Amino acid sequence: MPKVFYVQPDGTERVIDGVAGDSVMSTAVRNGVAGIVGQCGGSLSCATCHVYLAAEDQQHFDAPSEDEDDMLDCTASDREDSSRLSCQLILSEGVDLHVTIPDEQA
Amino acid sequence: MSPTETSTTPTDQVVDTSYPFAAVPPQDAVQRYVAISAERPMTRMTMPIGGDVWVIHRNAAARDMLSDPRFVRKPFRTGERAVPYFVEFPDFLKSTIQFEDPPHHTKLRKLVQKSISPKRVRAMRESAVEFANELIDAMVAKGNSANLVNDYAVALPIQMLSNLLGVPPEDRPKFQKWSAATLAVANMPEDEVVQNMTELFMYLTALIEDRRKNPREDLLSDLANAPDKDDSLTDGEILPIAMILIVAGFDNTANFICSGVLSLLKNPDQLAVLLEDVDAVAPTAVEEILRNGRMAIYDTVAGGGGLVPFVATEDVEIDGQVIAEGEAVLVDPASVNHDAVAVADPGTFDVRRKDNPHLTLSYGLHHCLGAPLARMEMQVAISELFKRLPDLRLAGEAVVDDDNLTQPITVLPVTW
Repeated sequence: MPKVFYVQPDGTERVIDGVAGDSVMSTAVRNGVAGIVGQCGGSLSCATCHVYLAAEDQQHFDAPSEDEDDMLDCTASDREDSSRLSCQLILSEGVDLHVTIPDEQA
Repeated sequence: MSPTETSTTPTDQVVDTSYPFAAVPPQDAVQRYVAISAERPMTRMTMPIGGDVWVIHRNAAARDMLSDPRFVRKPFRTGERAVPYFVEFPDFLKSTIQFEDPPHHTKLRKLVQKSISPKRVRAMRESAVEFANELIDAMVAKGNSANLVNDYAVALPIQMLSNLLGVPPEDRPKFQKWSAATLAVANMPEDEVVQNMTELFMYLTALIEDRRKNPREDLLSDLANAPDKDDSLTDGEILPIAMILIVAGFDNTANFICSGVLSLLKNPDQLAVLLEDVDAVAPTAVEEILRNGRMAIYDTVAGGGGLVPFVATEDVEIDGQVIAEGEAVLVDPASVNHDAVAVADPGTFDVRRKDNPHLTLSYGLHHCLGAPLARMEMQVAISELFKRLPDLRLAGEAVVDDDNLTQPITVLPVTW
């Protein structure tokens, strides 16, 4: 089972056992991880599932699509190089992921 | 479903799980909602208008439906079938983004959402705080009492939306008068509504034309000058967007500001929690006000209500229940917000509630476009009011217009 490590802005961490094929956003929402809203359900239209993806995990994903890139310009907390929309980060078998949740989401 | 079903709670108390249900005290309504969602994911009911619809009670089932692209609104938009609902939907609403499906919905939404994005809204917060304080200054200057609806709750969203759309300051009084015609709280005679709406349409058309020639940094300019041919919008497309922002942005926000203030005044223990650290508690308090809806305000609450419905394009099974092709389905927000599986202790009004998966602003493709703006306005309105006037209290009974679908508070007398 792929694990997702969610780090809150205050440094507290929660580890969730995810399911391959699910997203980092849906895994968070289903397990009540604070700070990830995901109001559009993954349709790339709300920018409320913003996370900072750990540097060592970036190799597992392609660069953001044009639509994701557009929405990353709309996030409440500042965009950084590591910024991703967590609805676009899909879990794979054998790959653990580490994300930090920004101060503000919506 | 039969209207006489019952269910037992852990204490073996029999709870009536028929739905919809007539007005009962709020704690009984919550108990019924808990029992209904424990028993079944949805109920099929016949609406006053437009026939049958499945009403979803469970929070997770609602999310499944709202994020499933097999549920669409085309048959409502084209008039192929009536919208099953409590009232008739005005035709102009059916021509808005709310009734569109992808791919056209995606195109419209993309054009608007950047202007109301979390980032843009964060930049608007300072001016919202400033304006809220101007309104409070004016209330205080007049004496020690006010009708919070007119003097505060309606004015703030109107100002914010005028800024967003790009209505020039000198036109604001006219714009406010015309827009008020769309407000449930205004309670205006029908012929006046029509005249004001016509004037608002003409004004917006002229403003769009001007922004096409002289673009500025506002939403109407963005829409009138969309970047390329694929994205370009006609006036006929821009007007409904502006109109739905006005309807949704003024009325609902004003209403939620009032119900928020009233919920707090009626729950002094929770108001005390807010007053301990207003800025820190305001964000969770606003979510709880959105979740709790009418429960903390009224003496009795009826079971029944809904977000705008969808139609299934094929047979779809949601939480074990098949919604057949062509059948309509909607979410009752009060029901899914009091589903004990998703919300712990749903009958408690808790302004510090952390996990609050309410669906008052919906979810999925059609989630509230103005959600970040609505949240910010509510947070600012409630924080500034109680910071400046911590002794605020009711100066009489609030008046609610029960004849209106949104049951707005039309008078909220307060003193300080």
